[in-house]
Amino acid sequence: METISLLEDILIRRQTLSGGWSFFGSSQVSVEATCLALLAVGSLTPESGNHRLDWLLGRQQRDGSWPAFLGDRESSWTTALALSVLNVMSDVVPARERAFQWLLKEHGREANWLWQWKFRIADRNVRFNPAMYGWPWSVGAASWVIPTAFSLVAIKQFTACKRVVDAEKRIQLGVGMLLDRACPGGGWNSGNNVVYGVPLRPHVEATAIALLALQDEEPVSAVGAGLAWLKKSARTTRSAESLAWSILTLFLYQEPIEDLKSSLAMIVGEGTGVPNNSTLATSLLALKCGRMIHPFAVLR
Amino acid sequence: MKLDRRRFLGSAAGLAATATVAANRIWPKYSVSYKKSSSRVAVLNASGYSETLDGLLLDGLWLFGLCVTGKTVLLKPNLVEDLPGPVNTNANIIGAAARCFLRLGAARVVIGEGPGHQRDTELIVQAAGLKPHLADRRIEFVDLNRDELVRVKLKANYSGLGELWLPRSVLDSDFVVSMPKVKTHHWAGVTLSLKNMFGIVPGMKYGWPKNLLHWHGIHESILDICATVPIHFVIADGITAMEGNGPLQGTARELGKIVLADDPVAADATCARLMGFDPLRVQHLSEAGRFLGNLRADRITMLAESLEAPIRPFAVLPDFHYLLARTDM
Repeated sequence: METISLLEDILIRRQTLSGGWSFFGSSQVSVEATCLALLAVGSLTPESGNHRLDWLLGRQQRDGSWPAFLGDRESSWTTALALSVLNVMSDVVPARERAFQWLLKEHGREANWLWQWKFRIADRNVRFNPAMYGWPWSVGAASWVIPTAFSLVAIKQFTACKRVVDAEKRIQLGVGMLLDRACPGGGWNSGNNVVYGVPLRPHVEATAIALLALQDEEPVSAVGAGLAWLKKSARTTRSAESLAWSILTLFLYQEPIEDLKSSLAMIVGEGTGVPNNSTLATSLLALKCGRMIHPFAVLR
Repeated sequence: MKLDRRRFLGSAAGLAATATVAANRIWPKYSVSYKKSSSRVAVLNASGYSETLDGLLLDGLWLFGLCVTGKTVLLKPNLVEDLPGPVNTNANIIGAAARCFLRLGAARVVIGEGPGHQRDTELIVQAAGLKPHLADRRIEFVDLNRDELVRVKLKANYSGLGELWLPRSVLDSDFVVSMPKVKTHHWAGVTLSLKNMFGIVPGMKYGWPKNLLHWHGIHESILDICATVPIHFVIADGITAMEGNGPLQGTARELGKIVLADDPVAADATCARLMGFDPLRVQHLSEAGRFLGNLRADRITMLAESLEAPIRPFAVLPDFHYLLARTDM
């Protein structure tokens, strides 16, 4: 408990004067770092109610999206993360609705029939089904696992009470994409599972985040294999970021996490050795797992 | 003379090719040129990643008479994933390079990398064994995927991107050293000092992988990046290299070489020749020879070992058989 308070203090002190958080202490605020920090310590900052979200709400663009960082104007995957923050922390409906609508419209470039044709006929070195598309990191790129997973979580949370047809369609496509991109031995990497006929290795963080998005789906074999791989890999992971995401996911799958939390607490220590604010925030969320509302839980 | 269909098409194609060549000469796609009258390359023999690397590397660097006194030196290694095998630039050679530049008078050394596949940079740094080399307070690691960014107009226009957001740590450094692992690459043919600069493009803006660059062309993006952020020196880790299905799943190839160069094109051309490839057949390298450095062997002065053809060329995927040099080196 004392460790958590200490880490919370450090993260709050690292908030920039403008109200958000950067990754490593510069004045260039990152939407990702800010979203994770808000989830971790937003309720402890001096601002009250929705004011604690002023920075985030103030950076939403006209089309409903968020850029990746202060100074950039292009829409980015961080919109999904921002929507999750608002789903958990805010009752500002118009901002959430606009973010949701932007996510519904955004898709990986391979969604276009011309590119689907290219990937089916001419460019087959990477094994994937282009008909199953999700969300890109940045506008104009293809779909990848992590932005797709965060988009699915955000949309599922936002539509928990009433899921419209368009949302259901995108969810099905996104889930299909994740299942299609699963690594043959279980788990996920950035999104290329087999290249030139050779299976690629999964990554801990990508696997954990992909499983977050599949938490309420049928436990098909890819989910089971991914979960088994994550449970095994998390035990030997010595990096705070990967371990924190593993804890957040394993908790939702009702797997034991106390030993992993102890390992994470050891790695993070007093927090001064974790200069990356997004890692510190994710670690805090993981250490507080079970004692607060899980920010990426999907309720149906 | 009667103009039949075949003649017409042949003439049209010839005219188009001539027009393209002429257009490239009149309106080149680059606004800078780093090409010197001649470049220097030193190929050092090294049997492994032992503690003698510091001495070997320092002797090699002396050959170039580099002036880095008081400068901030950026070392850009190739750290890709936390995989075993010759995937990443070996940490011992990175650490040795950092210490050597400090001994040559550098004020500080920044080791900067933005891995393209895994978001957890700390995990990769740990797995690569780089941590022990960061003990000196003048040697710092910067995660280029999450550094402060500056919007920069590109100094070449092959990709059509026009501009990129690039890390301040890169732009503020005085002396950029590309430190690739010598590997084959399943999209680009080879990954050497020029391709290695993909890693300066920040994931926080362009994602993991930096997929927007792929859509704009890998070779084209490499040229634009290297025109915009000039490489001042190259230290290529070819001690244990990778052949076959690189950059991740290839097999180890004991080459036993470290390649130093004051010109990235000359460095990559030399590495390609050591791999048994014709540098002219590597698309980005061939084009880079027009403005980023010297490709031709007669423009490259070898300072140490002479260049020898490999007994057996590096294995490549079938799509890249065209890279193999015929007989000439």
